[in-house]
Amino acid sequence: MRKTEPPSNTAKNFSKSTADKRRGTPTIFRKVLIANRGEIALRINRACQELGVLTVAIFSEADRDSLHVRQADEAFCVGPGPVPRSYLNIPNIISTALVTGCDAVHPGYGFLAENARFAEICADHGLAFIGPTPRVIAAMGDKATAKRVMKEAGIATTPGSDILPSVEDARRAAEQIGYPVLLKATAGGGGKGMRTVESPAEMERAFASATAEAEASFKDGRVYLEKLIVRPRHIEVQVLGDTHGNVVHLGERDCSVQKPSHQKLVEEALATNLSSKSRAALHEMAVRACQAVNYTNAGTLEFLVSGDHVYFMEMNTRIQVEHPVTEMVYNIDLVKEQIRVAAGEALGYAQRDLKPSGHAIECRINAEDPRNNFSPQAGTLSKVVFPGGLGIRVDTHVHSGAMVPPYYDSMLAKIIAFGETREAAIARMERALRETVIEGVNTTIDMCLEILGTREFREGRYAIDFLPNLLRPATVA
Amino acid sequence: MPVHLIDGEPIAARVGRLADAFDDTDLIRLSIERDGVTVELRRRGGQPAPVAEAAAAPAPQPRHVDTLRSDVVGIFRLGRPAPSLGETLAGDRELGFVEALGIRNPVRSLGGGSIVAILAQDGAAVEYGQELFEIDRG
Repeated sequence: MRKTEPPSNTAKNFSKSTADKRRGTPTIFRKVLIANRGEIALRINRACQELGVLTVAIFSEADRDSLHVRQADEAFCVGPGPVPRSYLNIPNIISTALVTGCDAVHPGYGFLAENARFAEICADHGLAFIGPTPRVIAAMGDKATAKRVMKEAGIATTPGSDILPSVEDARRAAEQIGYPVLLKATAGGGGKGMRTVESPAEMERAFASATAEAEASFKDGRVYLEKLIVRPRHIEVQVLGDTHGNVVHLGERDCSVQKPSHQKLVEEALATNLSSKSRAALHEMAVRACQAVNYTNAGTLEFLVSGDHVYFMEMNTRIQVEHPVTEMVYNIDLVKEQIRVAAGEALGYAQRDLKPSGHAIECRINAEDPRNNFSPQAGTLSKVVFPGGLGIRVDTHVHSGAMVPPYYDSMLAKIIAFGETREAAIARMERALRETVIEGVNTTIDMCLEILGTREFREGRYAIDFLPNLLRPATVA
Repeated sequence: MPVHLIDGEPIAARVGRLADAFDDTDLIRLSIERDGVTVELRRRGGQPAPVAEAAAAPAPQPRHVDTLRSDVVGIFRLGRPAPSLGETLAGDRELGFVEALGIRNPVRSLGGGSIVAILAQDGAAVEYGQELFEIDRG
């Protein structure tokens, strides 16, 4: 446990972004508990500091020396290393918020971010949950229910099933939809609990492993099926809604560079080579979907795009890992917006006020071995050097000498490159990746450089099969 | 009262003669056993033979000290009556509790011993794994 003297409780260091300029004095929270770890915990801590909000970090015994613990105003250990006993330990997390006098909880992404029950418990204890309401999380965070709600709102969805209680139900649904299909965790995200099933023979094994992974990751093992759209692009739209009925979108992100496990590796904003018809459809559907459920706070609607066909896939009722690329092209701090909206402030700007500028690319630097099925690596980082210079942003929690525990996500850093054009952003990212040094574990740095160097990526003509295809020759060899 | 004899001489007379003889020597200690009676004489203010004494002293036994920790986050409260430093615990006893979300989570001694440290203040917020008491199990 660590406590520091509270700084002056006045708002300070406001940036001059569009959102900041349009508002008066904010009425925000006094102290926020950050229910997460790693780079997103630091990211939230920064937003709070700039808003003059005190912070309380939580940590596991494995994270005792982490940067997020040191940078928060207070820090409490909530359990041992394994996630279910620490970062998913709701009683200890809520108790920490109460004994430290917090008035709000920011869940970040992953862990409890899309757990409606957690949001409800926060409310029951007088804590504002920095995210949508429990009702909306339950409806939209639950992927199968979200699809039904979207259908009712007239939004195109991929053919799919309801929740599948058993493998027999999964087989029946797959026969109706037609193979190949995708088994997906209804509480899922980040590719966890997702399996491609090409034939009935593969169903039993895929069902067992998807439900087990979903249960371990989200404490919810329920899965459903979707028709597998061949060679689609994964394009998502960032949205923001306030409690006064205002909803805006902040453009789209192309997240089609995905590992075979469906986890994203390189993202960019805005999407390139997207027809104006598809772009308009994506934005219109995203805003309409939010209005249909009275969505508040930040969220992301994920779509599969195949030609001019756009299918709603799922909605993530939280901040996304890749949110910085949107921040760079819209010059809006999305985490600050989340905090302000949760405190009851109006957005203060309309869709017409939001104009994107330039291009941003994010590369995820993971402690993984890309040539060994991206197997996660743990250990001590003997040397870490991150890049700098104009247009480069690094969101990270690691440093030389930091330990990478075996219990958590393997992401070490996000490098974000901004340029006036896509070509400039690519050149800047390549330079930044070459400057980066991480010793002690294998990383995805070289893999990202290889991706950026391909003709498909440079021309902006890639779909979600791009990275698996790029990896294939090496895997065969 | 029976009178003990040593070599046919009353014991008090024999010890007196021995004491006189002991005084005329440089000895520090003299022990004599005769007829089932042991007489030991020590010089007042004299030091026992240091090497022999040290070699005979038993080695100190290692103490076993248990640390009791909190397994929840909450507000720590000392039990009533409040446990005190040095207090001997005859058996398992509730030494305090951690109040979390309105639930009282007892902190028990888990057996006997003596309290050698109280590491959290009554009313303080405590985290998971925080040390609360040290108990010497002997």
